[in-house]
Amino acid sequence: MANKSVWSDNRFWQRTATWVTGFAAVLLIWLTFDTSAQISMGTDEDLKQGVTKRVPGPTVINYKIEYLMDAKRGHEIPVIGGKNAEGRSAFQEKEKFFGRDDWTEEEAGALLHLGKLGSQAKNCMNCHTLLGNGAYYAPDLTKAWLDPAWGPEGSLQAMTGKNTKEEAMAEFLQHPSQYPTHERMMPDLGITADEAKGLVAFLKHMSSIDTNGFPRNFGKIQGAVHGK
Amino acid sequence: MIDPSVIRPEIALDDFLPIFLSSALAMLFGGFYVGIYTAVKVKMLKSWAMPIAYLFWFLTAYSLYIMGSLMHVGEFTAKALIVSMIGYLLLPHAVYHMQHQVHEENEH
Amino acid sequence: MASNTLNESKQLATWYFTFAFILFGAQLLFGLVAATQFVMPGFLFEILDFSVARTLHINALVVWMVFAMFGSVYWLLPDETGINTIGIKMGKLLYWIFVAAIAVVVLVYIFVQVGPADETTIWFIMEGREYIEAPRWADFGIVVVALGFVANLFLTGMKGKQTGIVTVLMADMIAFAGLYLAGMFFTDNISIDQYWWWWVIHLWVEATWEVFVGAIAAYGLITMIGAHRKVVEMWLWIEVAMLFGSGILGMGHHYFWIGTPEYWWEIGALFSALEPIPLVAMFVHVLYDWGKTQGAEEEAGNSASVINNKPAFTWFVLNAFGNFLGAGIWGFFHTLPQVNLYTHGTQFTSAHGHLAFFGAYATILIGMMYIAVQGKNNIKVLKNTKSSIWAVSMIAGGVMGMTVALTIAGYVQVLVSRAQMGATWAGYFDGQAGMWFAQGMDWRLVMGLVTFLGFLLLAKDLLTTGKNPVHER
Repeated sequence: MANKSVWSDNRFWQRTATWVTGFAAVLLIWLTFDTSAQISMGTDEDLKQGVTKRVPGPTVINYKIEYLMDAKRGHEIPVIGGKNAEGRSAFQEKEKFFGRDDWTEEEAGALLHLGKLGSQAKNCMNCHTLLGNGAYYAPDLTKAWLDPAWGPEGSLQAMTGKNTKEEAMAEFLQHPSQYPTHERMMPDLGITADEAKGLVAFLKHMSSIDTNGFPRNFGKIQGAVHGK
Repeated sequence: MIDPSVIRPEIALDDFLPIFLSSALAMLFGGFYVGIYTAVKVKMLKSWAMPIAYLFWFLTAYSLYIMGSLMHVGEFTAKALIVSMIGYLLLPHAVYHMQHQVHEENEH
Repeated sequence: MASNTLNESKQLATWYFTFAFILFGAQLLFGLVAATQFVMPGFLFEILDFSVARTLHINALVVWMVFAMFGSVYWLLPDETGINTIGIKMGKLLYWIFVAAIAVVVLVYIFVQVGPADETTIWFIMEGREYIEAPRWADFGIVVVALGFVANLFLTGMKGKQTGIVTVLMADMIAFAGLYLAGMFFTDNISIDQYWWWWVIHLWVEATWEVFVGAIAAYGLITMIGAHRKVVEMWLWIEVAMLFGSGILGMGHHYFWIGTPEYWWEIGALFSALEPIPLVAMFVHVLYDWGKTQGAEEEAGNSASVINNKPAFTWFVLNAFGNFLGAGIWGFFHTLPQVNLYTHGTQFTSAHGHLAFFGAYATILIGMMYIAVQGKNNIKVLKNTKSSIWAVSMIAGGVMGMTVALTIAGYVQVLVSRAQMGATWAGYFDGQAGMWFAQGMDWRLVMGLVTFLGFLLLAKDLLTTGKNPVHER
């Protein structure tokens, strides 16, 4: 009993546990401050000044969005308003969204607000994944706005008989079971025309978020080799 | 567009299965290592089983090496994996030593 | 456990366990509905869609575990502190409030399902955030109930004997309740939304819940095999250090792709690689104490088993092993960012989720239910019965089978939908059409049925234990 080692002392381990936990928690909180600043939503001013934000402001819906390989970072990044000499966002090229490319900050913000609320009120996340999180019963929506299937040549746009991507998506969201794209169908969730517009704005905004290259190779490879 | 794979090589299609298998095996062998080590120490197994425990540690390290190289992990992750392997080798010794001491102090 | 009338705290614990068990059954049933929809997409279409079935499946999961956790604490408090739980009347009242609130939430999920895109839906129907879908009014209810529970625990712990186990539980449960607050606000910024959402989900299941399991395992080893308290509690502190040390910053592995900066790759990779270590340690812990205690008995010339509750001990051992297998192995092989880029959001995650929730939590909580059944019926030695053995084999085998099936399905998704076609609509459905994927889903359903049959046997065994003459009284 004489040589009681510190290693077998409960008090010692209790203190160690407290310190380790405290240290990890403080580090997490510190990182949270840094990350929160980096992922706070940008403004219309940022877009006009050409300031790249990880999460751009809602008026990003006025711009053309692409998802291109960035040689320096080694993965794809969202490119807003065409690319500049370095292959990064130039914030120049606009793109009409429901016939307009001059949505004000308030209007675009209200649309995004409606869309984000709608995404939760309709429980999208329990079939789809958003930023890769959610359920796995339906396609990932992170870059759905950029999906070639909704583009001018795409089968989904053709199916709805609409001429633009946003109108095609909004039409599908309102009457999903009228457009069976697959044996596994999306149910009718009572989405109104306004809500559909908001949801499409939400999807377009989400596609402009810098997700560190997730998902990889989005829509790049045509005619892939199917599973063995 | 220039091929960016030079900068950050992607995982080859055929490499996915070996990656998943090697990472699962790394953990499984690791479990065997500490499991057998402890079982020998508490005399649930005879002492000749001890070299088998160390063999499993070696297999763990090897699996992790395969996994790391197929995944093209960066320098930082590679170092982290090496350190964790050495730590893992020592861990059950340290833990057993402490346990033993507490038992000695409390029961004899 | 010598008292003839059941301590009030323990009585409340049995209420918690009973409702937890009912919700466990509901979880499996709605899981079967969702699994069937993967195989037959038209099943209950626009009646009880996949999104509804899955919401119920995962919510029932979380809530039954919380109920069983509260139950476990009410069960062990009198044993640990040596006094009656303080504020038990309030505890009982809160129990009924909790049950009633859950009943309302579930009915709204089933019959209202979705609402218009405005704040009323968030407040009264659903928040649409995976795992914490419960509407805002229920959030406040949950906070009140959790605070009441924490108050009971604290008042009792401070007045009675504050053992190491009680101290750990006190600290852990206050963190557990407090973290829920991080999930109670709305924001238009989905990156911020998911950032804080993970504070609830991750810091629950990969930190505070794991520490809870450590504390329960410590209690179980002392009560079931008479392990030495000082050794067990020292282990517990080491486990707390390792679990929180790796788990808190292990959060990084959820921040690879949600819009957060790239430095989370390194943080996530490093701490995720450390996360399995405490799970291995917990596994060794059980093995060590079992070997030592049995060895000491044998030296004393006593060859009888030291275990006084065979089924509970079986579930506890399964926990030690399942935690390592489900959270450790299945977690580790898709945790590094290089590979997670392709596996994130595929059935891999689902495979990991099934085995980890089962291995790490369901097992030990079922074990606690057996301990409660033993105590409630004044049984000295609770033995294995045919149904207890079949139940544990079928449930564990069924979950393992589902996990393997989902892993194979996930592998197809990684190759077809992700590595080649980049997660597009077409890529997604090409992956789903793969033969291996489809068969994986078939087998998942079959194995889900096996699990459910095992659950029925478990129910039978738990309900008939009190009258079964094979147990020593």
